Amino acid sequence: MLTATPLLAPAQWLGYPTPGIPRTGDGAPDLKAATPRTPDGKPDLSGMWFANVPSKDACKGQDCIQEERMAREQINLGIKLKDGLPYTEWSKQQMVARRANHGREDPHTYCKPPNFPRAWTLPQYIRLVQTPGELVMLHEFNAAYREVYLDGRPLPENPNPTWNGYSTGHWDADTLVIETNGIRDDMWLDIQGSPVTESARVTERLKRLNFGVMQVEIAVNDPKAYTRPWSVTVEMAIQVDTQMLEEICLDDEQDVKLYK
Amino acid sequence: MPTVFSRLLFVAGITLALALARAPEAWAHHSQSEFDFKMNVDVEGKVTVLEWKSPHARLYVDVVNAQGKTENWNFELPSPNTLMRRGWKRDSLKPGDHVTVNGARARNFPTIAYARSIKLADGSALFTGVTQIHEPEPAKPEPAKPQ
Repeated sequence: MLTATPLLAPAQWLGYPTPGIPRTGDGAPDLKAATPRTPDGKPDLSGMWFANVPSKDACKGQDCIQEERMAREQINLGIKLKDGLPYTEWSKQQMVARRANHGREDPHTYCKPPNFPRAWTLPQYIRLVQTPGELVMLHEFNAAYREVYLDGRPLPENPNPTWNGYSTGHWDADTLVIETNGIRDDMWLDIQGSPVTESARVTERLKRLNFGVMQVEIAVNDPKAYTRPWSVTVEMAIQVDTQMLEEICLDDEQDVKLYK
Repeated sequence: MPTVFSRLLFVAGITLALALARAPEAWAHHSQSEFDFKMNVDVEGKVTVLEWKSPHARLYVDVVNAQGKTENWNFELPSPNTLMRRGWKRDSLKPGDHVTVNGARARNFPTIAYARSIKLADGSALFTGVTQIHEPEPAKPEPAKPQ
């Protein structure tokens, strides 16, 4: 009797070599190669990125999360700050409410968009596409996008608040400085519910250290939510020889009903 | 019918064990605290379907309970994206496969759990990643209280 065995092609382009990247003699990606540059000499931030995660040895106690390949900042964006994020009393009250019901009310649980700067820490890939006039961010979660204008336009005044706000960027030597305003008043920065509000001005400083690593400094000045401005740095790792994979959260969301 | 599965060691152990050390919660697209990672479950049965959808793949397994009735367990897995990057395929588990699943039970639903590992009849195993970075503390019985 014959047993029918389906012949499946390799899953999409997982493992397909990314063309045009620096490689070592054995063909492996050369992660320590020099930062790529665009024809005008600027660092080229283009590529697929994923929040770098601590090694197994660094994953101890409550700093750790069990799920593999998750950034610690996904839980608490201020986890590396000695005293944590400087919450206002309003923020502390918000977070009590947000943590009720085991955190069920997290917008992410309900498949809402991957809002930046939180989106840097989520467990999906982000593709940056850099052109002279615009940096486009594509996020696997809900197939979302964000635009950062590099054409010199000013930030809008009193804009309609949105999930990602409005962003412009300029170069400070080899660092791309992104300024954002117009963020919605009810946004979360992490799973524990750290707020960011409409009063926020967020500054992200993107610096590609080499081919393989990019630092993203996230600075938040939000007097409604925090007693003083603060900043944290998240490290992103390049992802090559693979591809973006669509992840539409509402396709089969079943978790909300599990909370009581 | 339950008799179909009588050769299996059904529900050899559905263990709800308390880990003495605080087990960190697992996180995916949300807190995942609807699962209690102190409520360890091990069930044995037959795969009915591996559902390959976002935000979580799901493995459904027919398990015969202690009363001899078949229950269809719903095991949450990471997203298909995460699983594919870990080497899974959408047909890594097929209907009828005999599996033993270890997981963490939902706080409020007795046959829903988050899967940590799936062992197949040939001895091979698939891991969801929950245990690969930080092995949870082994379950230990609660110490006897001094009289």
